Amino acid sequence: MSKFFGGVRAVSGFDLEVSRGEMVGIIGPNGAGKTTLFNLITGFIRPTSGEIWFNGHQITGLRPFQIANRGISRTFQLVDLFKGMTVLENCMVPCYSKRGKSRIDKGKKPWEVALEYLEEVGLAGRAKELAGNLPFGELRLLDIARAMATEPEVLLLDEPFSGLDEDNALMLAAAVRRMHRRGQTMVIIEHRLRDLLQLVERVVAIVFGEKIAEGSASGIMNDPKVMSAYLGERGA
Amino acid sequence: MPHFDELYGRKVTYRRLMGLGIFSALVLMIPVFMRDFYLLEVLFLCHYYAILACSWDLLTGYTGNVNFGHAFFVGGAGFTGALLNLHLNWQPWITLPVGGLVAALFGLVVGSFTLRLKGPYFAGVTFCFAALLYKLVMGASQVLGGEEGLFGICGLADTSLGNYYFSAILMLATVFFLYFLSRSPFGLILRSIGENETACESSGINTTFYKVTAFVISAFFAGVAGGMYCHAQMHVGPELAHDSLSGLILMMAVVGGMGSITGPILGAYLLTGLNESLRFMGELRLLIYSGIVVLVVLFAPKGLIDIIGKAKVLAGIRMGWKINRHEAKLKAYD
Repeated sequence: MSKFFGGVRAVSGFDLEVSRGEMVGIIGPNGAGKTTLFNLITGFIRPTSGEIWFNGHQITGLRPFQIANRGISRTFQLVDLFKGMTVLENCMVPCYSKRGKSRIDKGKKPWEVALEYLEEVGLAGRAKELAGNLPFGELRLLDIARAMATEPEVLLLDEPFSGLDEDNALMLAAAVRRMHRRGQTMVIIEHRLRDLLQLVERVVAIVFGEKIAEGSASGIMNDPKVMSAYLGERGA
Repeated sequence: MPHFDELYGRKVTYRRLMGLGIFSALVLMIPVFMRDFYLLEVLFLCHYYAILACSWDLLTGYTGNVNFGHAFFVGGAGFTGALLNLHLNWQPWITLPVGGLVAALFGLVVGSFTLRLKGPYFAGVTFCFAALLYKLVMGASQVLGGEEGLFGICGLADTSLGNYYFSAILMLATVFFLYFLSRSPFGLILRSIGENETACESSGINTTFYKVTAFVISAFFAGVAGGMYCHAQMHVGPELAHDSLSGLILMMAVVGGMGSITGPILGAYLLTGLNESLRFMGELRLLIYSGIVVLVVLFAPKGLIDIIGKAKVLAGIRMGWKINRHEAKLKAYD
């Protein structure tokens, strides 16, 4: 898959396979094309060439809401929420999607379903608060709860640890581990390598839109190409 | 979860019904105490503008997509109803819903193409459609009456009192429908689109579908109100499609408070009453009217309904009621 913005190569010949239940990390310096990759997968931009397949069906060119209803949900690098609505309402919105509605159709009230997702990330006690009043760490957790409320098969997390202090990072890591233990497939973009490498099983490194390395969490940082990308030629 | 039932369930429905019930009783009882012909005519106008402002608010107030051509639906349905009445002798009980459906159909066509786009395209297209209709009316004088419009349309009711009650019932029906729609899951989705359309789409919501649906509903009620006005006046003219009407509707919603349905009702009553009460001022009327509107927008940018909501909270706190500030903010949506 490739994406060009005019003459700028954002993603080039990128190929990634993720198996069910796996947790994969994506690393790379700023401007490497990581978020562009997520935008391509979730339909916010279209690839210049190449295809995206999910569960045996091609999803290239579908709109974001269609891809979310197919089972791929995401969070955003800059937390994208409904800040003028309550924490509970933020999680209720996805419950009315085509995919999320299945739980309401089984007789549960929408706020009961939304509350379950908030309990998952430890925000049930803040349900009546306005989302805009939450501290940054809790906004990140709310974004994850909102993404989970579409009952995704694959969850894409874009720099979830960015801007978090130690306590909030631990809280988030615990929530991510709980979701993974339940079988949630996840792909995580992250710059904070220490937090990421403790969670994921496999890591893909991307530089200038191209995959330069792929390997286990423990071994990836010893890859010369990865060291060169982060530390320069001398560092490698 | 009883405490969420208070916010989203049965208990809040009864509270809202009580508020609307009191408003409805007041509206229906006014002629019992005041039978002044002029007052009934002014209140008829208040009801007419309230329908236009509330229907406009459903799309623009909630999703943020500004409709600059609401007059297109008012005028379009008005002329449709007038032509059906003059040439086929269809009565208001048919021409009003047919006019509304014609307006809704245009809303569907225009909205389907423009509401899937981001940015100011929708606002621009709606402005152009209203302008086109105005030019068409002025140009097609043989069919549409030109500058003078069409006369001889059959009346709505036999008396001013009949017109008043017709408009009151139509206004209340519109307000009830739009109010409960805005507080339903449909309204929640519209609000989320207005807050952050990107997050809404990534949550699996087809935002275009919801916006187009809101636009079609908005167009329908505007069309019905346009037909009602024409039959009551027994005349339809190009002023019904003029951009000044769209501007007036926008002002009423802004002054009253967008994104609430109740705010535009307040704005409609206030600005219509203000306009009428300043008639004796002659040329100064426009200056004072505009000045008051500017002052309201400057000091109450979220509208007068927001000021009333905050006053209620402050009054409650001073009286020692245990009000959680955040719950009070939620209650302001009621």
